[in-house]
Amino acid sequence: MQFAPPDPDILSRRDAIIASLKAIVPDGVIEAPSDLSAYESDALPAYRQRPLVAVLPKTAEQVSNILRYAAQAQVPIVPRGAGTSLSGGALPRADGILIGMGRMSRILEIDYENRCVTLEPGVTNAAITRAVEGEGFYYAPDPSSQIACTIGGNIAENSGGLHCLKYGLTTNNLLGVKFVLPGGEIITLGGKAPGAAGLDLLGLITGSEGLLGMVVEATVRIIRKAPVTRTMLASFDAVPDAGACVAAIIGDGIVPAAMEFMDRQTIGAVEAYNAPGYPADAEAILIIDADGVEAEVADAMVRIKTHVDACKGRLIEATGTAARAKMWQGRKAAFAAMGRLQPDMICMDGTIPRHALPRVLEDIAAMSRHYELGCCNVFHAGDGNLHPLIIFDAMKPGELDKAEAFGADILRLCVKVGGVLTGEHGVGIEKRDLMTEMFSEADLDQQHRIKCAFDTSGLFNPGKVFPTLSACVEQGHMHVRGAQLPHPNLPRF
Amino acid sequence: MTRVSSETEIRDFVRAARESRNPFEIVGGGTRRSAGRPMANEGKKLPVLDVSGVSGIVEYQPEELIVTARPGTPLAELKAALAARNQCLGFDPVDWTLFGAPGKATLGGAVSADASGPGRLRHGPARDSLLGFRAVNGFGEAFRGGAKVVKNVTGFDLPKLMCGAFGTLAVLSEVTFRVYPRPLHRTTLMLRDRNPEKGFAALRAVWKSALEPSGLAYIPAGAKFPLGDIGLGAVLVRFEAAELPLQEKIVAAKNLLGGGEELEQGDTIFTTIGEGALFNSADLDVWRLSLPPSEAARVADALGSPLWLGDWAGALLWIGAKADDAPLIRALAAEAGGHAMLLRAPAARRAELGVFPPQPRALATVTAAVKAAFDPLGLFNPGRL
Repeated sequence: MQFAPPDPDILSRRDAIIASLKAIVPDGVIEAPSDLSAYESDALPAYRQRPLVAVLPKTAEQVSNILRYAAQAQVPIVPRGAGTSLSGGALPRADGILIGMGRMSRILEIDYENRCVTLEPGVTNAAITRAVEGEGFYYAPDPSSQIACTIGGNIAENSGGLHCLKYGLTTNNLLGVKFVLPGGEIITLGGKAPGAAGLDLLGLITGSEGLLGMVVEATVRIIRKAPVTRTMLASFDAVPDAGACVAAIIGDGIVPAAMEFMDRQTIGAVEAYNAPGYPADAEAILIIDADGVEAEVADAMVRIKTHVDACKGRLIEATGTAARAKMWQGRKAAFAAMGRLQPDMICMDGTIPRHALPRVLEDIAAMSRHYELGCCNVFHAGDGNLHPLIIFDAMKPGELDKAEAFGADILRLCVKVGGVLTGEHGVGIEKRDLMTEMFSEADLDQQHRIKCAFDTSGLFNPGKVFPTLSACVEQGHMHVRGAQLPHPNLPRF
Repeated sequence: MTRVSSETEIRDFVRAARESRNPFEIVGGGTRRSAGRPMANEGKKLPVLDVSGVSGIVEYQPEELIVTARPGTPLAELKAALAARNQCLGFDPVDWTLFGAPGKATLGGAVSADASGPGRLRHGPARDSLLGFRAVNGFGEAFRGGAKVVKNVTGFDLPKLMCGAFGTLAVLSEVTFRVYPRPLHRTTLMLRDRNPEKGFAALRAVWKSALEPSGLAYIPAGAKFPLGDIGLGAVLVRFEAAELPLQEKIVAAKNLLGGGEELEQGDTIFTTIGEGALFNSADLDVWRLSLPPSEAARVADALGSPLWLGDWAGALLWIGAKADDAPLIRALAAEAGGHAMLLRAPAARRAELGVFPPQPRALATVTAAVKAAFDPLGLFNPGRL
């Protein structure tokens, strides 16, 4: 990935820019190079760039003033939550202001009567659930980085998680925001009442990857925890049988709370890593959660068993909380387990129509032989979101290039079978140059014009999402070096 | 009136309109034409683009939970095709019979108006299940937004914008929806003789539970429904599930509510509520108030409307009102943290009041810029929103 060269005029104005930001946030400007290095990258560490300066506002008014100043001074800005983006959404610019939202982390109101929580954008995803679980509620979207990632970042990326098929992505659980437009004006979109009084701009800004403005307050929906959750594991001797089983379950009207697919390579890797007790001889397994009231879950279990039997699979249920956790721990350790096999790893994030799974896995296996690189596959089977993990050693000449070419081939394949480039990680910088694989010129022109409707000067997170003529390197992955995941304390699934 | 039957024909029509700078009205089944501001071009009657011929189910894959159809497809046709595989649209689209328009409601119209019915409570409005679309913009270009898979974050989420835009951004040529299982069994519980405060509190108690109701409505005394004597008002709670889970939910709900009788005709009542049929022959303006559910009883009491009801656990009030009630309705809705949509009124009043209250300046500016990003010449349904 080549960065656009920084604007020398902006670099020459650095001292004045720092002084202006200090006038707005006296106790929150980071300028020393050693301090700024903490912001060099997000969870896509293959790309690093030290920002011109970082500013950490505490109030919506400060954010508004920063953006007003940036517009006047014509300085690019990059918003950042916790820096857990897997697509480089928070990658800084050498000639840009990084705005870190971590200090705006108050929960402002919990309103059980209207089933919502109003909060500042720096509150972590998991903190929402912690705040309401005492009353039996939770916040549904659960990206794997949920102990660290913030709601502001979740909104920017429209984050998902394991339970999207049943409970939706961020966009389906977000009721309203206060949003600062480029230029500094604050608008309110949505709220505790449903629906938009006009165009649904709330839906548009969700998942806009920091290109349209910044969230300074959000109101999210909370859900009552289901009284019963049961977990089961189905194993299969052939991938098409597992695929057919997924189709049969969904076609029968069952919407599992989660349904995860793992292929043979992944099963072997996690068995060697934390021995969750998966059947060693299986070609594919499914881990399924069913939730609801007792009879509902019992009914789903009986029907799922029928479909697993019909698809020549074997079903076992985890009995008890500890056994459920163990059944899930292998799946949740898949990334870390693969990281043991080779020093480097990239994670793809395409979505495909579920019926295409056997064909896509066959093609990926063929690519794996062609590129002579290992690849294993985990799959949110309920919603078709595929996470192939490519393992390689970047110290070997040419392997990184091969891995990147392999990854881009997988995403092209996803698009070819009717799917998309990214199901939940976002485009960011990593898939930017593949956008033309999925969208025509007219499609992209339409999106560009919307960008311009909000941000006429192009100062908001420039270089992200949309391909530019100057950039021609094919990308599309999360890079992991030395088996060290960025944010190693976070599970990745 | 020009009738088209394909995306290419839509595109050619838009290009011609663009050349001649002639705005036009987009009509599908024609059942919702009286919703929104009356449209005009300097006082002249607008040409009409009839898209009802851009019709038919393109692809339906029940195992993928996805259906793609052209926007002129009659709602009834699509609902029947989905019901045959025990599936349904999540936003429970309804015909608005209160307009009394002849013709068949279409999918495109339901999406463009976000005509979400009582079932919205469970699976959300149209925007929560519209995954992708094709359309022609005001540049005369055919384009797509979103995709045909249930999970996608690639590029801006344009499908959201299409829902409830009343055809002011683009002319739809194809829409792809995520669909939901449609359980075989359903039951509606009713509590009689509850005043609005107690009634809405009962609805919220179920809404806050883990029972996943598919309908939560309140019918006040005096509203004409075939329910016998409902005293101060009726609470209606609907569940859909397989047989045994349904029994469990009914028992749990009765415990929560302190009783409840099971209604035979619950589905019919909910359909009537969603259609706005209560107002079919009433000589009143009709408003839809979107509210935080906890505010419903207070707002309803303050309005004292002769004809009204509540849906979505109180998040929606249908209000019949006289012309001069408009300022009070808008003020009460705003004060409660919601907004009031004027759905049915004589043309002059719709022209004066608009569909939605005026927006603050910054929001109005960005809204206009987004509109211009799709349709800079203002060709589509001019002035309607």
